[in-house]
Amino acid sequence: MANSIVTTDAAVSDVDVMLRVKTGDESAFAYLVQKYRRPMVGFMHRLCHNPATAEELAQEVFLRVYRSRASYEPSAKFTTWLYRIATNLAVNHARDTRHERPENTLRLDEPDQETGKTPDLADESLTAEEQILKRERLAAIRSKVNALPERQRLAVIMHKYQQMDYREIAGVLKLSESATKSLLFRAYETLREQLKEFVSGK
Amino acid sequence: MNCNQIRELLPDLAAGMHASTPEPTIEIEKHIASCAACAAHLRDLQKTMALLDEWQAPEPSPYFDTRFEARLREEMARPAAGWLSWLRRPAWAMSAAGVVLAGALVVGIGSKSYIFQTEAISTNPPSLGLPVEPGTAVGDLQALERNDDLYADFDMLDELQVQDDVTANP
Repeated sequence: MANSIVTTDAAVSDVDVMLRVKTGDESAFAYLVQKYRRPMVGFMHRLCHNPATAEELAQEVFLRVYRSRASYEPSAKFTTWLYRIATNLAVNHARDTRHERPENTLRLDEPDQETGKTPDLADESLTAEEQILKRERLAAIRSKVNALPERQRLAVIMHKYQQMDYREIAGVLKLSESATKSLLFRAYETLREQLKEFVSGK
Repeated sequence: MNCNQIRELLPDLAAGMHASTPEPTIEIEKHIASCAACAAHLRDLQKTMALLDEWQAPEPSPYFDTRFEARLREEMARPAAGWLSWLRRPAWAMSAAGVVLAGALVVGIGSKSYIFQTEAISTNPPSLGLPVEPGTAVGDLQALERNDDLYADFDMLDELQVQDDVTANP
């Protein structure tokens, strides 16, 4: 429970910081960017699978925060607001570029083609065979998460990788907490079933 | 709590997040300890969670801050997003022009009718005799009465008509 109190306190102070941004405090804005740049890049990376695009989109999120500073109202947790901006941006980006990337599904199985390197696999302690197996597992994780229905995919990424709780995810996706709970339940059931072969091999 | 209720809470438990479940953790753990099916479900889910951990996101690149600062400076240099900035967009400029044109027409028509109204009022004699309103039967008759030239023409036309009748019916 102590954990949740810390989270609440941190959220309150973020709201305070954002209210300072609203009054024109640039150092307050710089603080928020530094605090959330890593989680934002990670979030966008898992949603769009391209490191360069992920960084560009994460920057765009912060620019949108800056642009809307004057109209900011602390009606929700700061992170809920931040992730809602990020989610809208990522979903719109995916929609806009859907036709430009018909090879999307194939590309996920070959992460090397994207950047010429695989930051996810930078583990030199593994043998060549282990590397291949790890790459296969990673490709499976990405493709199975990516194949989930849109809201389930967003919910899993927020829950598993951004450590957000049901309430916060519900706030971002504009769902009730119980709907979010069952959304996540269904998503994890699908992943548990579809990734079974990779789990048992471990 | 039954198995279905417990299983909905397992994702949080498997991910090591206890904070978001309002139900007491002890009660959930007690159920799992006594229910082999739910315990197996939790173990499976924990393995799935561990597998999902393998998908690591990269750190922001060393250029992230530099690029962002440049974009932010550009944003700050941009004039405040007032109504003037809309005019720079062609679509907005066109609609703005349309609005201005429509406004000018409305003002033009409005002022014109105002002028007509003031003229009509000012040319009306205060209260001498019958007011002459062109286009009405009374006005037309009054105009005819004062027009001697027209009566002269009528006389001529009458004569012409008689002559026509004579030539047509000899």
